[in-house]
Amino acid sequence: MQGNTVNYEELIPGYEFPTTSYELSASLVSKYMQAVNSAGDGFVPPLAITACVIATMASSFSLPPSTVAIHAAQELEFFKLVPIGSTIELRTIVAQKITRGKMSMLILELEIFNQDKEKVQSGKTTIALTT
Amino acid sequence: MLTEIQEGKTLNTVVKHITQENINLYAEASGDFNPIHVDESFAAKTPFGGTIAHGMLNLAYVSEMMTSAFGQNWLSGGKLRAKFKEAARPGDTVTINGKIDCVEQKDDVSYADCSFECLNQKGEVIVAGEAIVKLSSDKR
Repeated sequence: MQGNTVNYEELIPGYEFPTTSYELSASLVSKYMQAVNSAGDGFVPPLAITACVIATMASSFSLPPSTVAIHAAQELEFFKLVPIGSTIELRTIVAQKITRGKMSMLILELEIFNQDKEKVQSGKTTIALTT
Repeated sequence: MLTEIQEGKTLNTVVKHITQENINLYAEASGDFNPIHVDESFAAKTPFGGTIAHGMLNLAYVSEMMTSAFGQNWLSGGKLRAKFKEAARPGDTVTINGKIDCVEQKDDVSYADCSFECLNQKGEVIVAGEAIVKLSSDKR
């Protein structure tokens, strides 16, 4: 997770967030499995990866005051199994930003790579902002 | 895992009870501490009137259903599209249903096209979407 944030106003289509990476440790996966009340199978659940990625994206920009951000839609594609202990790298760009009255939608495209630079997951996250 | 992959086949239903404890654990595991999920006094002042579960928590249950049906084919060849229609709240029981809408062949590879929905205990659809799984040739 990175400490630097940008303002929501600065997010324009094409904006690329700084690349971030993390280790998907056994303790992180174990905590995730406990949270979703599910059993593990030796691999990192793809949704655990997405969850961390979305949290990172959401914490990398600051919202206008009194705004609530809600996850509105998600697209995902999984390409490769990710073993526990892998390090992944996240690349995110702003695909679209739509404002209609008090409602605003931010659409982010994400790509996730393993330590061998192979794409393991891609997706599109739609976040709705409302006051 | 499904032994038979054919059109119309229903996937094994997943039922989960949502608690604030699960939501807090999910926040810790994912790092998503959006106050709408974990801060009851903040959430009470929003249009939701209280905390709500992360949308991705519900989607994790969808993935559990898909993994149970398709195993590694889902984990390394799955694709999904979901819309979060309503919030799941602490105390809700969420039921995830899915079925195989069709099995199609493209360039010598088979794909299972599925639809899914997550319902709360009132029968309201909180998440709906489609998933596609690339099947290896020994699955059919």
